Amino acid sequence: METIEKLRILSGSARYDASCASSGSTRSGGKGSLGNASSGGICHSWSDDGRCISLLKVLLSNDCRYDCAYCVNRSSNRIPRASFTVEELVDLTVKFYRRNYIEGLFLSSAVMHGPDETMGRMVSVVRKLRREERFFGYIHMKVIPGCSDELLREAGLYADRLSVNIELPSQASLNLLAPQKDKQSILKPMAFLGNAIGESARERRKNRKAPRFSPAGQSTQMIIGASPESDYQILRLSEGLYRKMSLKRVYYSAYVPVNEDRRLPALRTPPLLREHRLYQADWLLRLYGFTAEEILSEEYPQLDEQLDPKAAWALRHPEYFPVDVNRAEYAALLRIPGVGVTSARRIVSARRFAPLTPEGLKKVGVVMKRARYFITCSGRPVERLIDRPALVRGRLLLADGATVSPSSQQRQLSLPGL
Amino acid sequence: MNIYLYDGSTEGLFSAIDHVLRHEPDPSAVVLGRREPGLFEEGVVLTTDRERADVLVRRFSSAFPRNAREVMYALFSEKEEIATVLLHYIHMVARHGGQVGAHLTHPVVNEVHLLACKVARELNRMKGLLRFAMLEDGSYLAKMEPDYNIIQPLSSFFTRRLGAQEWFIYDVGRGLVSRWDGSTLQYGALESFHAPALAPEEQEVRRCWKTFFSHIAIPERKNERLQKSCMPMKYWKYLVEKE
Ligand code: SF4
Repeated sequence: METIEKLRILSGSARYDASCASSGSTRSGGKGSLGNASSGGICHSWSDDGRCISLLKVLLSNDCRYDCAYCVNRSSNRIPRASFTVEELVDLTVKFYRRNYIEGLFLSSAVMHGPDETMGRMVSVVRKLRREERFFGYIHMKVIPGCSDELLREAGLYADRLSVNIELPSQASLNLLAPQKDKQSILKPMAFLGNAIGESARERRKNRKAPRFSPAGQSTQMIIGASPESDYQILRLSEGLYRKMSLKRVYYSAYVPVNEDRRLPALRTPPLLREHRLYQADWLLRLYGFTAEEILSEEYPQLDEQLDPKAAWALRHPEYFPVDVNRAEYAALLRIPGVGVTSARRIVSARRFAPLTPEGLKKVGVVMKRARYFITCSGRPVERLIDRPALVRGRLLLADGATVSPSSQQRQLSLPGL
Repeated sequence: MNIYLYDGSTEGLFSAIDHVLRHEPDPSAVVLGRREPGLFEEGVVLTTDRERADVLVRRFSSAFPRNAREVMYALFSEKEEIATVLLHYIHMVARHGGQVGAHLTHPVVNEVHLLACKVARELNRMKGLLRFAMLEDGSYLAKMEPDYNIIQPLSSFFTRRLGAQEWFIYDVGRGLVSRWDGSTLQYGALESFHAPALAPEEQEVRRCWKTFFSHIAIPERKNERLQKSCMPMKYWKYLVEKE
């Protein structure tokens, strides 16, 4: 089979993977080496579904011996099968990179004969790239659950980021939909990577020459909407992964019905809005100092589809507001709807020169049509409505509907997967 | 209000700023403009002193690196009245220190900051969207038509990224070209341009990239609006995947 034909099949099989992030690692070689990884992450294109293309995202093979219900590549599907040779994939990566099509390689694979054999071949690809081609671009590698520790260790020396897919948010769903996988085979490599990443970071603080191990950390992803877990369960799981496994990112991937299967829900369209709200809630966990319990609870287990989770939280907690933008601490500013990480930081620096007015807030990037209900400027309220949450909710929805709603999808998806 | 005119070059601008800072009691009241030859001109015409310009840029950059970056980026925007704004900005920073760059509600700081942001955004986009094609002789050529004059920071980015290959970056609209031969970077202007012949492998690599591009999208999630808002159509002209 020709390389281009394999590329057609193996990019098509990789497209359901959520992440294409290329951030969090800097790497550069000496003279004669190819490329560098830049810490901010760079998008090289946007595909027809509006997602950022940063990496050459392909499977090494789609010839799977497992039979996960939700997956196009499952063994019971009659689809064309293909596998790259090591040389083919290395060659493609280098040619694309030299033309600035990509930031690097995102390598995943179906389970061919067994986990070790598959992972071994994936490691051969990245070893050849790093050692023979002296390639310093970004490499993200998926871990095949069940592979040996030696392979994990070697993969970590070459990859910028490793990830083990958690696939589904509970053991029960795994049993039902991915019977050949189990929680242990997923959590074990995660814990192994967590230790190795931490250890290498400690070593490198002592000695700059110590080898790096997956310097951009590890991430994971799960499929949303193929199984019955609530948003609350999902966020608790993510929170645990961030805290206990020190993951860099959890990716959520709206379930796209690709197979007919009685075990799967009948969805007409992928739950994109739900995925979007989960990403927003995830940002609150990682960057805004929220806990899963603050965002949802047993009584309110689902995210509000109409309102973003921060605004929803704010409306349930009128006692917290108004926050005075000229006095409040950074952490308190972050809780105001319409204020982001950047604008909160700018508020803190700008108010040293002069107190901020509603006009000034706009200049530093605060979204006033959201923030106005929750703030005062040096004691002066902008809008006295905070004790009437129902009214504020209506206004927020109106403001969203007018301009934000169609593009609210965009805000999350256009991020280069930071 | 005092009006000064300079020759329109970057050195001219910094030499003029240097002059005003040293001779004017209140630089914030000075207007600095580009001299338009042949026009009836109002204002003091300054001659360019390259050395002075150099010293100012070096001192300012080492004392206030972050502010200097904003100044350079704002300058790349090539906006009409940029000279006066930069004069006032540099004056403010020299007087109050680099932190004044965070005083975003001040009109001068705000304007410099916004312009610098716009330029930085296009620069970041271009780092991803620039496409190189392999030529017959094994070197690479990338063409672009950016809104702002970003060829300098963009080229220096690619000296690090694609340092082991020879390449050219060509700003078609401005007729500017940069050339990297594997060890030094040079800039020049281009009067006429002959499309050079492509390497034999080029068409095949492009076909591969187009194949990848069309199969990596999830058909069930098709969203052209989102695609266009992330990747405005003005950049499509030189994109292999959109040709
Ligand atoms: S292991 Fe499961 S999810 Fe992975 S490729 Fe095979 S069938 Fe698909």
